[in-house]
Amino acid sequence: MEEVYEPLRGWIEIEVRDKDGKLIQSGRQRMQSFLNNLLRIIEGEAKAVGGAALNYYGLVQSTTVILQDGTSGTAYIEWYSGSSYYGGGVPMALKASDDDDTYGIIVGSDTTPNTLNTYKIYSKISHGTSSGRLDYGPVSVDDLGLDTSVSPPVYRYRIVRAFSNLSGAVITIREVGLVARNYWKDETAVRNDVKFLIARDVLSTSYNVPNGGSATVAITIEVVLG
Amino acid sequence: MNLRCELIVEKDGKEVYRGESKSFVQNFAKAMMVIHSSPGNTSLDTGGAITSVLVTCPDNVNRSIYGEWYTIAYGYGGGVNIAMSASNDDDSFGIWVGTGTASVSPTDYNLASKISHGTGVGQLDYEPHTVTSSYSDTYSYVEISRVFVNKSGSDIIVREVGLVARNYWKDKDGIKNDVKFLIARDVLPTPVTVRHLGSLTVRYRISLSTT
Repeated sequence: MEEVYEPLRGWIEIEVRDKDGKLIQSGRQRMQSFLNNLLRIIEGEAKAVGGAALNYYGLVQSTTVILQDGTSGTAYIEWYSGSSYYGGGVPMALKASDDDDTYGIIVGSDTTPNTLNTYKIYSKISHGTSSGRLDYGPVSVDDLGLDTSVSPPVYRYRIVRAFSNLSGAVITIREVGLVARNYWKDETAVRNDVKFLIARDVLSTSYNVPNGGSATVAITIEVVLG
Repeated sequence: MNLRCELIVEKDGKEVYRGESKSFVQNFAKAMMVIHSSPGNTSLDTGGAITSVLVTCPDNVNRSIYGEWYTIAYGYGGGVNIAMSASNDDDSFGIWVGTGTASVSPTDYNLASKISHGTGVGQLDYEPHTVTSSYSDTYSYVEISRVFVNKSGSDIIVREVGLVARNYWKDKDGIKNDVKFLIARDVLPTPVTVRHLGSLTVRYRISLSTT
């Protein structure tokens, strides 16, 4: 059967190490999980015009996203601050800091299948060192560049996050998601800060992270170029 | 979940081509990456470009686009990352059409031979864009389209189409970035002749499905 061409696709790789750093489990699977929230951001960008006059301020273009509590939220696409300095933002950031489990790569323990309207990690494993928690590291994003050695050529970038288990017991990862942050601010206040799920995958294998060990999740996004 | 992109072409309102668009170029990948590589937790008193990346513009010059940006010493600051809906008569971005047949390359930065906006010889009248969408549990799409009208007095043959995005950031002091860059290009398998006073409609449909 001919493979369906997907201009945007991804791969999930997980490595689990014990307390001594020894690799004890690893796996790789196709990411098949982009959700309506991603498409809603693309819709907002497609509708945007740019070119606002220098003295213009306010919201020009936005899009509706489904937040992780199931309610609707507004993501800004084109926005300008008022008279305050330092105005601007970003529509879909993923590079969360150390210990921040509100966006970036998020892991969980549930296996409920997706629909396109899935809006949350069903059983999120929160950041922390107490029972049932994992210590979230910072998210890194690496530009892997254009690869013309494969057919069709692809452009790749890799999103990586490590999770350390300091909880005292084994923790099992069964789902992985990408939560994006729509953040716009000026010097006086944060004007928009909403976080929403753009991708979620139920893993084909459960990954058991031992106490004292760690799991590293790498999501490689591939833009397939013809 | 499969993400797909279709290219649909209509001549005088009648569909003459529908097929997979396989022609995102590397500029699109860079634009996605620079947004995703942004932190989005910048402190209130920070300004400047937090993330940026070089793309290749239609004039074959590399320029930076911003993923996350803040004005510094002036108000009215902000912008947009990959705007696509150019206004009526604006052929500087959005959906373009051309006459070239050169094969698509991942590093394409321009159409091979763009047809400019206008009513003169060899030109088409570029209309505004329309964006439609539909969302469900199993199939969702976003479609951006543009109509081109031939007022040139002669037939015009369209052989290629493309999508050009705009990265625009400004404050009260001035435009801080206004970079337009090709993100997709397709060569039509069969050229489409647009008669005088006829029209061509080009649609890019990005969809998600569970099958």
